[in-house]
Amino acid sequence: MMSFLKKLHKWVGLIIGLQVLLWLSSGLVISVLDPAKVNGREWMNTGIANPIPLPPGVLLEADQLPGPLTADAFAINLAVVREQPVYRIRAGDGEKLVNAIDGSILVFDQADAEELARRDFTGKGAITATSAGIAPDLETRNHSGPYWKVQFSDEADTAIYISASTGDVLERRNQYWRVRDFFWMLHIMDYQERQDFNNILIIIVSLISIWLGLSGFILLFGSFTRHDFYFLNLTGQREQVLITLIDPALAEPKIISLRKGSNLFLSLATHNINLPSICGGGGECGKCRVQVVSENPPPETSIEQGLVPKPLRNKGFRLACQHEAEHDITLMLKERTLEGGH
Amino acid sequence: MLKRAVIARNLHKWLGLFVGLQILIWLASGLYMVVVDIDFIHGDSLVKNMQQAIKIPTSPTLSINDLKTNYPEAKQIGLQAVMGKTFYTVSTAEDRYLFDPHNGQLVSPLSEDTAKEIAIYHFNGKARIVRATLIESDPPMEIQTRRLPLWRIDFDDRYSTSFYIDPYSGALATRRHQFWRIFDFLWMLHIMDYQERADAHNNLLKVAQITGLIFAISGVWLLVYSFPGRRSKKRQNMGETNP
Repeated sequence: MMSFLKKLHKWVGLIIGLQVLLWLSSGLVISVLDPAKVNGREWMNTGIANPIPLPPGVLLEADQLPGPLTADAFAINLAVVREQPVYRIRAGDGEKLVNAIDGSILVFDQADAEELARRDFTGKGAITATSAGIAPDLETRNHSGPYWKVQFSDEADTAIYISASTGDVLERRNQYWRVRDFFWMLHIMDYQERQDFNNILIIIVSLISIWLGLSGFILLFGSFTRHDFYFLNLTGQREQVLITLIDPALAEPKIISLRKGSNLFLSLATHNINLPSICGGGGECGKCRVQVVSENPPPETSIEQGLVPKPLRNKGFRLACQHEAEHDITLMLKERTLEGGH
Repeated sequence: MLKRAVIARNLHKWLGLFVGLQILIWLASGLYMVVVDIDFIHGDSLVKNMQQAIKIPTSPTLSINDLKTNYPEAKQIGLQAVMGKTFYTVSTAEDRYLFDPHNGQLVSPLSEDTAKEIAIYHFNGKARIVRATLIESDPPMEIQTRRLPLWRIDFDDRYSTSFYIDPYSGALATRRHQFWRIFDFLWMLHIMDYQERADAHNNLLKVAQITGLIFAISGVWLLVYSFPGRRSKKRQNMGETNP
């Protein structure tokens, strides 16, 4: 069971480990970036955000507005735009503004857009360029219709998008937003539109990665022993066991004392006795093989059954990383293992 | 000196103790959010008649200029359809009103029966209303940012849908259902903001992210040592391993 979970964990890790890294690092970037800067609130003129009361004077009634405009409208509202009373008319093909006094349709030209953008933006910087475009595109993807992009020379490289039909500020984009948006793209794995997190790629990778998480979570329980938490139990007993190590190349055996319950491979390593290993005690490589020559070799684990041939197991060969020091024991090491440590 | 593989393995194990559960929560909540279609979560399939065309009132009893005279402080005066009928809306700094243009009468705030009718008018499908509640204060989590009061109309459909009707405009302010609520709960777990469920920049999240990132790096690092077959041959050729 454990060895299967281990295999599952490392193979899934190999396949999508990089994306998990990207999820974590992009998530970190997104949460670290200041949201007020990302959405441009930091440099927004809050004084003009609140609607002001309608100016006095007789206005056109709704039935005096141009018929074609109101024919399929689903919202008509009187509001004040640039000190003028206007009707905002929303229909299936977008929103239009009509002067509430003379019934003329408002359009916002480049000069209007620059004035509106300058009014909205309170950061340090002047307008360097204004260009026309049609939403949606990457930076105006939640909108539709013609816009003016007013570019400022501030440090954050701000662009204010003004709707050419309503004069509304559609978006305030800057470098903070662009960095955030790039990492958002990595996070949701939609490399084109950067907004669809129900895309098939991320669904597949998520379905695979959940197995990485589940197997890892179960493995976590198996990877800890009581010994790992001895530091919490400061008054508790600290029984020691004696480990006798025989290196065929040396005349004398070496005897060391280990805390009862500690992992053989790791605690030998802390005594500067480095058993051969590639995986670092993970039960993956089968290199940390020792022969238990005292009478009581511990029971074989399923991992050992996979990595140590049966005849050797019968002779007491075990993997040090799979066992704890439970009682006094004598281990035969490979030749010159002890020498290497000195 | 401990071998690098031992260091990586211990790092992975001990950091896993602290962020393992949160990583699993991130993966599981993320999985739900990517698998369940966001338009469905928003309830797009549960509603109908959301864009109702306005019929401009001809020779109304009450005109827009009348409203403007009666409410000189108005910030907004408009026309809006409710169940296919056209009404005036008026907003001042404090209040909102709904008027019938034909008889000039104030119809807001809307009664429970009208709110139910509106809910049924917008509900896409067959379901019974099980409850209508006027929420004036202490809004439930799912409408925390909305302007109150709102009529909450609960349906007995399989998604436990709730429609929120604005008694001052007759509009379907928002809709919530079981899958939305699960999404919202998982979003809370995902961004680790257990109070407001909105701040994706909180410090707990950042600490967990940094720990999680080191944890994931140690995991990828461990991959190098976890496929011994190929590597051991190379190492043996270099005469590094066996004594």
